[in-house]
Amino acid sequence: MMEESDTYHIRPNHRFKFKPAVVKGYIRNIVRERLSDVQYEPETVAELTRSLAESVKDKVKTAEFDRYKIVVQVLIGEQRGQGVKMSARCLWDADTDNYAEDVFMNDSLFCVVTVFGSYYY
Amino acid sequence: MLWEERGAHVGERVRHDWLWWTGEERRRRSASTGKTITRDHHKEKRQAVFCMLTGMEEYTSGDDGNFNTDETSVLVKECIEGVIGGTDYNHNKVNQWTANIVEHSLTHLVKQGRPFKYIVNCTIMQKSGAGLHTASSCYWDTTTDGSCTVRWENRTMYCVVSVFAVAM
Repeated sequence: MMEESDTYHIRPNHRFKFKPAVVKGYIRNIVRERLSDVQYEPETVAELTRSLAESVKDKVKTAEFDRYKIVVQVLIGEQRGQGVKMSARCLWDADTDNYAEDVFMNDSLFCVVTVFGSYYY
Repeated sequence: MLWEERGAHVGERVRHDWLWWTGEERRRRSASTGKTITRDHHKEKRQAVFCMLTGMEEYTSGDDGNFNTDETSVLVKECIEGVIGGTDYNHNKVNQWTANIVEHSLTHLVKQGRPFKYIVNCTIMQKSGAGLHTASSCYWDTTTDGSCTVRWENRTMYCVVSVFAVAM
């Protein structure tokens, strides 16, 4: 471990670490608010996906995780009984970086939102 | 050299090292020379993390500073072809496929030896006439960081792989 002196922030203070539980709460609220009674329509869903990603990113920014870079990914698909599998792997510093995700489903669509936070030394 | 003298030199050198680490010696020297001697802790941390993640000794910053979308896209396409190239959608094997695609992509990306942290995401969906949309929004340094999304399909399934690269 690097020795810290002169308060150079090479790792986040525990209070300002990326907290998956907190971010998951944000994602849940935004998604439920925006998608609870929405039906899948090809024309509108494209724009909805984009704006959902922007909203989640803005909300996570307000949480003020200092020196963190944020990546938000939103996936919306139609429900037609097909099989879907999504997986992610990350090469990062497990000490400082983390991710949060949430899945939402109603009878016509499913939505997966993932937020990755990476600390900038 | 007399033992006392040697002892004194050793003791003094050790004392100097200790003071260097605590910053006092640094301040004393910079006060006498008028120049600031600083260690770039951020750069050292980045190199330490890079070494831990990739097993390589050092990275050279410079031309490798920015993310290369085209090269990554080609690399990922090859990985996908290698894993699900001639196969049809199989519910029992999908877990294994996504894991393999993601792992192979990550391994090849790391071999490039660039100072990036990577996030690789893979989605495989059976073809059934249903629609699929994906969007991403990122808060990062646009000059150094980047992402690349590769769409691939065959007769029975779609595969979408996203790679996000964040500079260290």
